[in-house]
Amino acid sequence: MKKIIFSRYTKYILLGVVLALMPTIQQMGFIRSATITTFGTIIFYAVVAIGLNVLLGYSGLISLGTAGFMGLGAYLSTFLTENLGLPFFVSILLAVIVPTLAGILVGLISLRTQGMVLAIATLAVAEVFRIKFTQWDAFTGGFSGARAEFPTFFGFEFDRDMTFVFLTVLLVLLMIITDNYIHSSVGRAFLTMRVSEAAAQAMGINLLKYKLMAFALATAYAALGGALYAHFIRFSFPDSWNLGLSLQIVAVIVIGGLKTIMGPIVGSIIVFGVPAIILSRLPVIGDVDGLAFIFNGVLIIIVVLFYPNGLVHIATDVKKLFRKKRTEV
Amino acid sequence: MSNINALKIENLSIAFGGLKAVDDLSFHINVGEIYGLIGPNGAGKTTVFNCITQFYHPTRGIVNFKTSSGEVMDLVGQKTHNIIKMGLVRTFQNVELIKDLNLLDNILVGAHIHFKTGLFSNAFKLPNARKEEEKFAQKATKILEFLGIADKKLELAGGQPYGVLKKVELGRTLMSDPTLIVLDEPAAGLNDTETLELAHLIKQIREAYQCSILLVEHDMRLVMDICDRICAISFGKKLAEGIPEQIQESADVQEAYLGKKE
Repeated sequence: MKKIIFSRYTKYILLGVVLALMPTIQQMGFIRSATITTFGTIIFYAVVAIGLNVLLGYSGLISLGTAGFMGLGAYLSTFLTENLGLPFFVSILLAVIVPTLAGILVGLISLRTQGMVLAIATLAVAEVFRIKFTQWDAFTGGFSGARAEFPTFFGFEFDRDMTFVFLTVLLVLLMIITDNYIHSSVGRAFLTMRVSEAAAQAMGINLLKYKLMAFALATAYAALGGALYAHFIRFSFPDSWNLGLSLQIVAVIVIGGLKTIMGPIVGSIIVFGVPAIILSRLPVIGDVDGLAFIFNGVLIIIVVLFYPNGLVHIATDVKKLFRKKRTEV
Repeated sequence: MSNINALKIENLSIAFGGLKAVDDLSFHINVGEIYGLIGPNGAGKTTVFNCITQFYHPTRGIVNFKTSSGEVMDLVGQKTHNIIKMGLVRTFQNVELIKDLNLLDNILVGAHIHFKTGLFSNAFKLPNARKEEEKFAQKATKILEFLGIADKKLELAGGQPYGVLKKVELGRTLMSDPTLIVLDEPAAGLNDTETLELAHLIKQIREAYQCSILLVEHDMRLVMDICDRICAISFGKKLAEGIPEQIQESADVQEAYLGKKE
């Protein structure tokens, strides 16, 4: 039993160790300082994507409101630490709880609809948030943006590298927690609902309860991702929280792999990492406007057509291929 | 066998627009009985099913059900997801299993109503959640052994032969400790050998799990072979009810299936 648990978490812990070592590798001069910032971005978007995967991947429900809830988390945490002077861990907790409650409220109304209508309903909510962010100066700083600081724990101020390690630890914890409940009666209820709502009801699964739970979870992860954004990038701007971002998060899980825990991090590296680290340094095409979007668009088409389960499965598929060849020989 | 009926339907009616899909239908199932509901295409069999399991709410009529605790209760108006808690569970024509989960996990879905631990305990793998999962995994393994597919326990449901999937769906219903299992065309898509095996299995389930079974079926051989009593309906109305021989001899039933004699 212990062995099984150990092997199930190993990949998450390994990923965490590799990520946590990056600042040290950077100090030794092997990678550029900006790469750490990019990877920080990858991590908090991965957190958001894991949440959306619970909703879209496991439960089969769609939301285009991700960015709105991210923004809410970012501004709340900024406001609570900067304007009210609350301790970091209290603000981040509130920055997750309040948007989640708002998410449950939105869910109660919008989850009566399905498919496209649900997508539009959640998009509408996010757009309302985005417009409010530009208008509500006292809370968001309006168009001039809101400035936050790196986290502070009991008077101890983190620098960028420590914040990066903190993000890594949170990511690994979230992956383990998510893996746990996805492989329990809760996760099975989500999956049953996705296959057939009728079958779920026949098995005694209360559709509204589990849809709300999935929606609340996705909101909580989005708000947490937003708050982490605020304290790592240290600046939030209303226009960041737009439909484009919500769609990029969808791209992350489609490219990385629906219904997987590792998929979102793989997808996040591809969607947010590759354009910033590799593409932007290429000669000529590196200067093309919106190159990242073109790259993601093309990649989505390729993945959906040729690799619909997501790129996270590449490793196991390659292994299988080798095994087959060996047996054939 | 007790005298109380496992299920007693009285004057059940439902209309869609002007069409009366089920019209004043009454029948009852005795405890421990295998009861068949037959009829030509469009007779309203599945609608009757959906009215019993509250996927549809009938316009009129009573669906009295003897719950697991022994009391008799009218199911009409109950929430669809609460029906299984009373001891009534159903299957679907087009097996609705989760392809990305293994057979054991698919069976475990059937125990959903028995799980007490929630999101929090499971997220942190608290001892109570772990114990509960283990307890039901053992129960599910026993069911897989009973079905004779325990060796495939950890294989994914996707890619399994249809016969195995049908068994898993049956096994899933057993996890909820039902008193009445409602099977929607269990033989659909099965070949002759598989159908025979299924007939045997349904009888075994009744003996081993002490429950009554109601089935809607097109495969006449299966129905005649395993049902204690049969109800034949056409256009939502009862044509005949009785033991298989009586149904086979009923002129009304023959007419409904084959048309009028010239």
